[in-house]
Amino acid sequence: MNLKVESITVKLGSSEILKNVTIEAKKGDFIALLGPNGSGKSTLLRTIFGMLKPLKGVVFFDGKQHEMGYLPQESAETNLKAIEVVLLGRTPYLGRIKIPKERDYEVALKSMKEVGIENLANRKFSELSGGEKQKVLLARLFAQEPKILLLDEPTAHLDISSQLEIMSIIKDLSRERIAIVAMHDINLAISFANRIFMIRDGKVLYTGAPKEVITEDSIKEIFGVEVTVRRQGQVYVIPKIRGSKKGRKVHVICGGGSGRDLIYLLNSQGYSISAGVLNALDSDWETMSEIGGEIVDAPPFSQISDEAYQRNIEIIKQADAVVLTNLSIGKGNFKNLLCAKFASENGKLIVVDKTEFKERNFVGEEANKLYSEILKKSIVVKSEEEVLDALRKLLYR
Amino acid sequence: MRILLLIILNALVFLLSLSVGSSSYGFEELWKLIMGEADETARTIVVDYRLPRVLLAMMVGASLSASGCSLQALFRNPLAEPYVLGIASGASFGAITSIVLGLNITGRLLLAFLSAILTAYLVFFIGNTRKFRDQSYAILLAGIAIASFLSGINSLLIYLHSQSLHQVIFWLMGSFSNPQWEEIYFYIPLLIIGLSFLLATSWNLNALLLGDEHARAVGINVERYRAELIIFTSLLTASAVAVSGVIGFVGIIIPHTVRITMGEEHRKLLPATILLATAFMPVVDIIARVSTTGEIPVGAITAMLGGPFFLYLLVRKGL
Repeated sequence: MNLKVESITVKLGSSEILKNVTIEAKKGDFIALLGPNGSGKSTLLRTIFGMLKPLKGVVFFDGKQHEMGYLPQESAETNLKAIEVVLLGRTPYLGRIKIPKERDYEVALKSMKEVGIENLANRKFSELSGGEKQKVLLARLFAQEPKILLLDEPTAHLDISSQLEIMSIIKDLSRERIAIVAMHDINLAISFANRIFMIRDGKVLYTGAPKEVITEDSIKEIFGVEVTVRRQGQVYVIPKIRGSKKGRKVHVICGGGSGRDLIYLLNSQGYSISAGVLNALDSDWETMSEIGGEIVDAPPFSQISDEAYQRNIEIIKQADAVVLTNLSIGKGNFKNLLCAKFASENGKLIVVDKTEFKERNFVGEEANKLYSEILKKSIVVKSEEEVLDALRKLLYR
Repeated sequence: MRILLLIILNALVFLLSLSVGSSSYGFEELWKLIMGEADETARTIVVDYRLPRVLLAMMVGASLSASGCSLQALFRNPLAEPYVLGIASGASFGAITSIVLGLNITGRLLLAFLSAILTAYLVFFIGNTRKFRDQSYAILLAGIAIASFLSGINSLLIYLHSQSLHQVIFWLMGSFSNPQWEEIYFYIPLLIIGLSFLLATSWNLNALLLGDEHARAVGINVERYRAELIIFTSLLTASAVAVSGVIGFVGIIIPHTVRITMGEEHRKLLPATILLATAFMPVVDIIARVSTTGEIPVGAITAMLGGPFFLYLLVRKGL
């Protein structure tokens, strides 16, 4: 039993999804098709199955059409009973008016047993868990008695234990068959496949045993990510971590909602955030309370006192970086500008300068002057996202 | 077992339909009639009037509920139905046009069928464009939009040809009054063709429930089957509309009632749906003709039952 795909080119609409792809598989092969989303994995499976006709090239398989079993990625939802779903796998064996015979029931039950779900036979499909549903669909596939298994991301959306269980089942039941499984979890592919085809932009770029093809370079080329490949017994891949941000303190001088997005962004990146001076009940004050960061605050609608200013300076001294947001300056929070000046003189200020300062200055020429002095000694960015880059430069130089 | 119960129910409703009306006949008198011993009046009322009427009701019930059941699987949407999807409005557009043109039953059916099929394709085409993919209500909205458009044209046609106004409006609201044997002879072969197709391919409906891609994976030619389904459900709907006007929601009420007790396997669901509908429709018709001295349109009763039912499904599904 052999499968040969010879230099196929597949077009969908006006774009070439597969470009001159050639692969071969033989009995006992468990092949993982690895590639990012949109690389052409599904298209390759559907072309092998015969659902798509290649523009050029041929798919050669020394068996009958119904001996190819295909499990699409599309999630299924129905109130049919599990056994009724599994029986659908017998469709190619039924006559013109499709009435399943005793043997069809036997095969369906046997394949449910093989997958380990014979107890679910009379349960409604819609009431099963994600892993159970996938097992029912696998049983459906095996009820077709296929010689080639084409599976499109059979473990997508499943928790880790279901992922491993589903892959083990596929592995067990594919020993006398050919299995081609599209997936994007590299480590899962390494653990189960005996061969890996790495595919990107419609081209198969690497083929071979996991040990040969999984390298830092190949993964960078296919997925565009930096990883470390460890070879201790089995090969495995771990993502490279760029130094922990834990405990890095960032102080945000904000107010009136100007700090909201930034606070959420920094929080999601794991920075430890403080903010001030903020009037209590200010919207940024509320954002800070929500994420539970330290706040230097002043009573609502009042001017910043000398005492609050001093507390703010103390926190700025301890912070690794300070961000001045695109806030408006009035008499009430003018001292915040002085705090920013202090931070800039210590070389740890990032300024988010989105709109012209003149438009947000309600104090006068004095503030304009102060602001331009601050700009000279700080990193100036135009958006919250750029703050992250600036922080990286500032903290890890 | 359930099927047997349904058959008994059908027999009872059938006899009840023959006996109940402006003048009632007991089973004894019906028996006499069969033996050819009854008087002429009874014969005329039962054989020439009530018999074709109950047969028509059964046939229309079977057509609409079987179409509804199949369309629900095709669109994977519990609210799909010939009336909601605008197919019935399409058919009535054809039928009204034929009445305006003064065509006979054959012409009426042909035009109803053609415009039903065109409407079905239009709704399918609009509701299934890539833009709306995976939004199960898109197909319903497309159906409702096209149905209201066609209803507008229908009203206009009726208004412009007001000589047969009352007759057409009453027909449009759906009713089995004035049953003609001629219509039944015409309808029966179409009904048999339509139902046979749906029953013979009910396995494919199960496969469609899982999704197009899964249906293809088990070897079903989805595009072809979908085209066939649209043709045959349009045929059934158009026949029903041509003889009885627009009777809505039967295609939702009956399949869902059966689904609750029998599950979703179409090889059981579809026959049971047809049998429940053939019992249900004559009962509604009995209510229509005995509840007042005149006659209530059957379509009005099914709409009053169907509206709340529709809402119930809408809320339960959380669309």
